[in-house]
Amino acid sequence: MESIRQDWFSNIRNDLLAGLVVALALIPEAIAFSVIAGVDPKIGLYASFCIATVVAFSGGRPGMISAATGAMALLMVTLVKDHGLQYLLSATILTGVLQIVAGWLRLGSLMRFVGRAVVIGFVNALAILIFMAQLPELIGVPMAVYWMVIVGLGIIYLLPYLTKAVPSPLVAIVVLTAIAIHFGIDIRTVGDMGQLPDSLPVFLLPDIPLNLETLKIIFPISLTLAVVGLLESMMTASIIDDLTDSNSNKNRECVGQGIANIASGCIGGMAGCAMIGQSVINIKSGGRGRLSTLAAGVFLLLMVVFLGDWVSQIPMAALVAVMVMVSIGTFSWVSIRDLRTHPKSYSVVMLSTVAVVVATHDLAQGVLVGVLLSGFFFAHQVGMIMRVVSKIDDEGRVRGYQVIGQVFFASADRFVASFDYKEVIEKVRIDVSRAHFWDVTAISALDKAVIKFRREGTEVEVVGLNEASATMVDKFAVHDKDGAEDILMGH
Amino acid sequence: MKTENKVLACVDHSHFTDHVADYAIWAAKRMGTPLKFLHVIAAHHEIGSGADHSGAIGINSHETLLTKLSEEDAAQAKAAHEKGRLALNRLYERALDAGVTAPDMKQRHGDFEETLVAQESGVDLFVWGRRGESSEGSPRKIGRNVERVVRALHKPILSVTEGFTEPTRVLFAFGGDALARKGIEWLVGSPLLHGLPIYLLISGKDGRADMKQIDWARTTLETAGFQVTFLLIPGDPLTIVAQTIQEQNIDLLIMGAYTHSPLRSMLFGCKTNTLLASVNIPVLLLR
Repeated sequence: MESIRQDWFSNIRNDLLAGLVVALALIPEAIAFSVIAGVDPKIGLYASFCIATVVAFSGGRPGMISAATGAMALLMVTLVKDHGLQYLLSATILTGVLQIVAGWLRLGSLMRFVGRAVVIGFVNALAILIFMAQLPELIGVPMAVYWMVIVGLGIIYLLPYLTKAVPSPLVAIVVLTAIAIHFGIDIRTVGDMGQLPDSLPVFLLPDIPLNLETLKIIFPISLTLAVVGLLESMMTASIIDDLTDSNSNKNRECVGQGIANIASGCIGGMAGCAMIGQSVINIKSGGRGRLSTLAAGVFLLLMVVFLGDWVSQIPMAALVAVMVMVSIGTFSWVSIRDLRTHPKSYSVVMLSTVAVVVATHDLAQGVLVGVLLSGFFFAHQVGMIMRVVSKIDDEGRVRGYQVIGQVFFASADRFVASFDYKEVIEKVRIDVSRAHFWDVTAISALDKAVIKFRREGTEVEVVGLNEASATMVDKFAVHDKDGAEDILMGH
Repeated sequence: MKTENKVLACVDHSHFTDHVADYAIWAAKRMGTPLKFLHVIAAHHEIGSGADHSGAIGINSHETLLTKLSEEDAAQAKAAHEKGRLALNRLYERALDAGVTAPDMKQRHGDFEETLVAQESGVDLFVWGRRGESSEGSPRKIGRNVERVVRALHKPILSVTEGFTEPTRVLFAFGGDALARKGIEWLVGSPLLHGLPIYLLISGKDGRADMKQIDWARTTLETAGFQVTFLLIPGDPLTIVAQTIQEQNIDLLIMGAYTHSPLRSMLFGCKTNTLLASVNIPVLLLR
């Protein structure tokens, strides 16, 4: 009871105002993302309304804004082009189902494997994609478009110095629309992009054949959509966590996103997820509770349905200006400055993530590459923490090797190469009690070293193998007990 | 290692605080246990700040916003620390004057309920005002967090009202249930009320099972050296309790708190809440 009150009604005035600001910013974005996906603006607008409204109830992070997004829109392009809208709607529903399953399986916790470098790479790649998606509106168009974009950006960034009471993107849109209408400038408008909503959305199941063939078409797309949607949502949630110094329920967010996408697909909307830029705008405007998200969705629909005629007159150039702003606001500019100071491996992971995404237009692939690379770098670094020291014992008849550090796949070769097999000596004693054997590769490396010694006629004694291989217990029976770190780190 | 349990006085900036301190001092002295003053600073992250409705995001918008919000929070927290420190110092002096040796003072950030639950293991008795500073000036008699927090705790709580009078006559609203029996045992085990006359009140229906419980309670208390007066008054418990308090000049009420589920108390109203709100003397809530 208490938490419902706190989530919904502790910040009513600020939440409503922030919701309004967000709704105004969502309209151009929803239209722009529909254009990216290649569907009518009304698909994105219905989706944004539906996702924002449903997530307000089902989400796990109060104050986070979810709607139709660029990351998702980019993944739909081929599906829409090859198979049409109905397949997109069914893919959206399937995406929701997959996300709910992910929430039930508590996959939200897998986010801990996505390191900071990958997150920054993701964010930067997203910003670049949003910017690149505006290029078709900027190439081969009359000079007037460029002027309008520049004027739009000028208003967006300079107006806040005069007043912060009105959303500057809205002012930019209104001014540019007025100029275009007044001077009768012949440029593309939102109305040229397709149908706008003329009524409230209605419930409608997608009209597709329910067979294996359909599943084959939509499943891969849905899977990628589900992954990208959850990734961006989880990342946005932790950004909001930091900003508001409070916690979110990541698994509930997964399920919440899923429910919202199913609902979106059922009223003719495209798939969406949390939006970094809009969520930051919401927090900045004072929005904190679930009411802000709900208000954003409801205001958006009301404005679009009742101002539809006006919305269709908005020149695309005004939208481009807003989207450029979103792109600039999403990009992590500090990360460019940090390239000089951060470790090389960090920068390589970040830049690779960006490069793969920009090349494939698929954020999921970029994240996969980023995560794999960070894994490699980590293994490499930890693998360096291994050395072998040797000394002569028993008046020159025995050589004692002491292995210290981490032995696993990344350090196994170096381990094998650390012994002097050619030395003519009666016996070697390999003391591994201060080493950790993390995997089977480490054990086989030890076997290999022992065999090599035997071939040279040297007797081998291995000391402390039990302690060394305690780390191989996969169940972590030892590791998670009190004092385990003494056993594992002490030697 | 077992540490000595203490009396934990929960203080804030409401006008109850001095009385909370007085009762806590009284309890700590009677029980011979250490006294600790706790001030919980709640951060209201669910409430938005700022009136920037420009909706524009520029270069490093997220980092700039994070810096701005954390600076605001830091300034607020520093002011709250300082205010809390001054209030605690005053109470510290008050406790020293009253003869308590080395009272402990602590400030913690966080939710009131979570903080108290975390502190509970080292505590014998909680003392707080029945309303906090957030209810100051509101018409409600007891704070809206009281029920939630009481339900979360498992140690006795002394909920104080305005003014301090050293308790001399104690009324035990005895329900005959497990909680009441636990309460009797606590009374016997704790030096808090030793030597004070106890009025054991039974209201409502008089059943056979009750009589057995009453005899047990009476014998247990008398064996422990309490002077027990037994009152059996049939009728509506709420009225009877209020009436007895007046007639017998009672200055401390003991009762079991929230024995029913939260759902039931939401649907049918809650005796504990009504009673808490209707009496004007401190109440010792048993858990």
